[in-house]
Amino acid sequence: MARGVMLMSGGIDSPVSLHYLLRQGHEMVAVHMDNRPFTDDSPMAKVLDHLQILRERYQQKIPLYVLPHGPTQIALMRKTDRHVGCILCRRFMWRSAERIAEREGATFLATGEALGQVASQTLSNMRSATAAVGMPVVRPLIGFDKQEIEAVAREIGTYAISTRPGLCCQAVPDRPATRSSLVQILHEEERIEVDDILDEVLRHAVIL
Amino acid sequence: MTYSTLRLCQGRAAFEAVPIPRRSLDLRRLRERLERDGVPVVDARVMLIARFEREVTIGRDGRILVKSGDASEAARLFDRVRSLVES
Repeated sequence: MARGVMLMSGGIDSPVSLHYLLRQGHEMVAVHMDNRPFTDDSPMAKVLDHLQILRERYQQKIPLYVLPHGPTQIALMRKTDRHVGCILCRRFMWRSAERIAEREGATFLATGEALGQVASQTLSNMRSATAAVGMPVVRPLIGFDKQEIEAVAREIGTYAISTRPGLCCQAVPDRPATRSSLVQILHEEERIEVDDILDEVLRHAVIL
Repeated sequence: MTYSTLRLCQGRAAFEAVPIPRRSLDLRRLRERLERDGVPVVDARVMLIARFEREVTIGRDGRILVKSGDASEAARLFDRVRSLVES
């Protein structure tokens, strides 16, 4: 079985996605992008509680890397087109996860994305986001509908954690792009120092 | 300025008030006012995040979001921010 890196948000989907990969026997590392001050403390607490359940269930260590994402969001809001902010944000998440994967000797990245649930999860946006990385991206829930995911979350005990009070991301623009061209995205990224931002993010990584 | 009722946002961890009609705030001026009052501010260009005893987000469109699930605390902070916005 392979070693992979899972992006964990604290939401309903990511622990379910991780559950399927662990059930298949993959050895997983978790990454949480800490989005404060654009959210509150709750996503981090939820991720820790999700991992506790899954660590016990699968008797796996599952290290958690927490990476600061707020400063990246500020740089994006100050310098790039807000309309495509969610895609640019996702590209940084993927790049960060890939750096952790290289450090951890992992060979794939994973997420809890399902098609069409939120603005960032259209096919063109997913393509624009993951074009930032070279590693294979695995999406165990891609064809699931929300009710199916919620049913599994209840079964494994993560649903009640995910639905505790918490703040949605305040950096989401009023009208996020649902279709994006890679050319436009790359043009926007020329306005920021991608490698410098990423180096800074990785310098402040904390392992829990 | 008139605001919609301070309402608990969907995630139940914050209260939000939206100005009616929406208006454009001079965030740079507001940031200066907040800093003069000793309130630390994160300036993300399209919004300010002011660190009172709870964080308060002030959007360029006048939207105010108080990160507290407690209605009376949120109302108190909302009044404080509103007076700064309107001064």
